[in-house]
Amino acid sequence: MSVGFKAVQWSREKVIYDGILLAAVTLYISAFIGISHRIEPPKDLPAAIDVRIRAFGTCAFLMMTIILSIGPLARLNPWFRKLLFNRRHFGVLTFFIALAHAWLMIEWYQAQGNLPNLLAELTTWADYGKFIGFPFKVIGIAALLLLFLLAATSHDFWLSFLSPPVWKWLHMTIYAAYGLVVLHVALGIMQYDRNPTIPLMLAAGFTVVTVLHLIAARRERAIDRGKPEGSDGWIAAGAPGAIPDKGALIVSVPGGERIAVFRDGTEIGALSNLCSHQNGPIGEGRIIDGCVTCPWHGWQYRLSDGCAPPPFIEKLATYPVRIRNGVVEVSPHALPPGTPASIHVPS
Amino acid sequence: MRRAHRTAHRMLWPVLALLVGLGLTMSLMMRAPPPVPPAAVEGQR
Repeated sequence: MSVGFKAVQWSREKVIYDGILLAAVTLYISAFIGISHRIEPPKDLPAAIDVRIRAFGTCAFLMMTIILSIGPLARLNPWFRKLLFNRRHFGVLTFFIALAHAWLMIEWYQAQGNLPNLLAELTTWADYGKFIGFPFKVIGIAALLLLFLLAATSHDFWLSFLSPPVWKWLHMTIYAAYGLVVLHVALGIMQYDRNPTIPLMLAAGFTVVTVLHLIAARRERAIDRGKPEGSDGWIAAGAPGAIPDKGALIVSVPGGERIAVFRDGTEIGALSNLCSHQNGPIGEGRIIDGCVTCPWHGWQYRLSDGCAPPPFIEKLATYPVRIRNGVVEVSPHALPPGTPASIHVPS
Repeated sequence: MRRAHRTAHRMLWPVLALLVGLGLTMSLMMRAPPPVPPAAVEGQR
């Protein structure tokens, strides 16, 4: 949301976020290498590179696990939105950590002078028919390519160019990348190294991500069931007092998109629940400085007409609202974006 | 996230989770047994 193009719109919060992220990654990798060297000093260069491969590989896996947990956590507890707003930087850094892991693998072969063995491993076609013995590096390469695609298209330019729905479809492939990483480790190092922390780490990461998504999906499903339409098609949202001041109630049209019904004192208005930036859940945001503010990246819109305040030009669809028998009702039919539709109720 | 994304998410997630879970379990169960240390082999004799 900028009148002038900037490659990355830095803010104090983003700098702090990235600083903590970089510090945590550096600390993890340094600690992993330091502790490994102390427990079992590497006897030669390939062994030293092997420790680095494991350090970067486990770091990338943990980062992916955290990234995939942020979405459902933010739905279950608003505190985690702090981790969500700059998740794209987290993802890009994860790609670079995974890339370093892959590069160290090549270095490991080079240090032993048998780089052709890597090619032979990847082109032994008979192994592709096996389960145990499948060329697991190919699975890792596929995951790395997906991570590259996601990192390369993470910028707002691509979000705008592809449109938020297409961009979201593309970025949902992160789940496939995660599955590939789990199998890359399971069919790779877990087969050669009996260290129990490897299967434990895999199972714990995979279970955490799965359980969090199942819990969040269960809660979301209840919202999506929607409220039944009245005889004239309008949907009852609740009494005006039931809508939190400067907050919203989310109602769902059966088979349609969600609607966010906001209240700002005595003003009540309904907007599309989809932020025009990244289709974030507007209804989970609050009214700040008189504007409805998306909880994901802070994009703002006026409650009265769904327009972003000048000089910004984004608009959200609005919905007609009315009060009937003391209950706020919303029409399921969207008005053109930017149409004034809010009402005032007696205080 | 649009309704279509949520619907696809709900349909694909369990399938993907099941496949990966199955792959992880099978790879764990089909692991080669750990090599027997030489001392243990001597003891068996």
